[in-house]
Amino acid sequence: MMKRQRVISFLQTFLALGAVLAVVIPVFLSDFPWPTSARDYLEAHGVADSGARNLVSAIYLGYRAFDTLGETIVLLVAVSGTIGIIAQSGVSLARGFGEEALDRKTASPRLRHRRTELIDVVTGKLGPIVLIFGLYVMLFGHLSPGGGFQGGVVIASGIVFIALGSKNEDSTRLQEAGMLARIEAAGFLSLILAALSGMVTGSGFFGNPLAGMGASPVSYIVILNAVIGLKVGAGIGFMCVAMMGRVE
Amino acid sequence: MTTLILVLLIILALYTLLSRDLLHGTIALSAVSLLSAILFYYLYAPDVAITEAAVGAGVSTVVFVWAIRATERRDSGK
Repeated sequence: MMKRQRVISFLQTFLALGAVLAVVIPVFLSDFPWPTSARDYLEAHGVADSGARNLVSAIYLGYRAFDTLGETIVLLVAVSGTIGIIAQSGVSLARGFGEEALDRKTASPRLRHRRTELIDVVTGKLGPIVLIFGLYVMLFGHLSPGGGFQGGVVIASGIVFIALGSKNEDSTRLQEAGMLARIEAAGFLSLILAALSGMVTGSGFFGNPLAGMGASPVSYIVILNAVIGLKVGAGIGFMCVAMMGRVE
Repeated sequence: MTTLILVLLIILALYTLLSRDLLHGTIALSAVSLLSAILFYYLYAPDVAITEAAVGAGVSTVVFVWAIRATERRDSGK
């Protein structure tokens, strides 16, 4: 029985390595030149078309905004699924960070020593700074590296820090699950509205509605970045806060 | 520089796979993410580097640690 398992696990390793090699080796061996037409077009026209100096965000909010909507929906479904599983399994899964230890009297000694002073002091102080950095990455996504998704994930880390750092007293409502859920829902609604608004003024789905009024095309990218950042940050933050058992 | 980071990545990834203590494996996995973020930055992809650092080293580590705390820390090795 053991021997058969070993053979199976050896076969699995062999198959996985073979599949990876089959994909990677042709890339290394081929002397076919990389296609450059899209790169050259973006280099020549990207900044003029979108006004965004960071061409990555020019692509995913300008040329390929529709794909971004799909990614946002994927994230929404993932968060909904996680919340569904956590809600089904109840508080038993919320043992995660020893959050019951918050109630000092009923907490078992084994759980209490898991919360160290280090976590309390460092995360509480670092949280707001991480939040500010996340907002910066989100709002300056068109100029510097970053954007809605990146900034949103950094914001989610900040929310986790704040939720870990505050012991009993709540310093901000950002760590309440209900508040985060509302922000996420509002963010997704605003994203849909922002996408549809271009159709009213005739620039199409995910077109810039302000294009006809002489506004810089980059303004639409900033708006989309802010909305996506809030949605992603609130969504992932909501997931992590729910894992700590903070959902009523 | 790139070779050094890649070799370290492979070593850490193997350690993640083979370690029986899942918490050690998780920390090694977050080190893998951090090293990949440095590699991405070094290869002029700062956008990807930010995402990798925030998701790989930050949020996914939180999720893994939560899952380990809620279940068993040691891999039974069967």
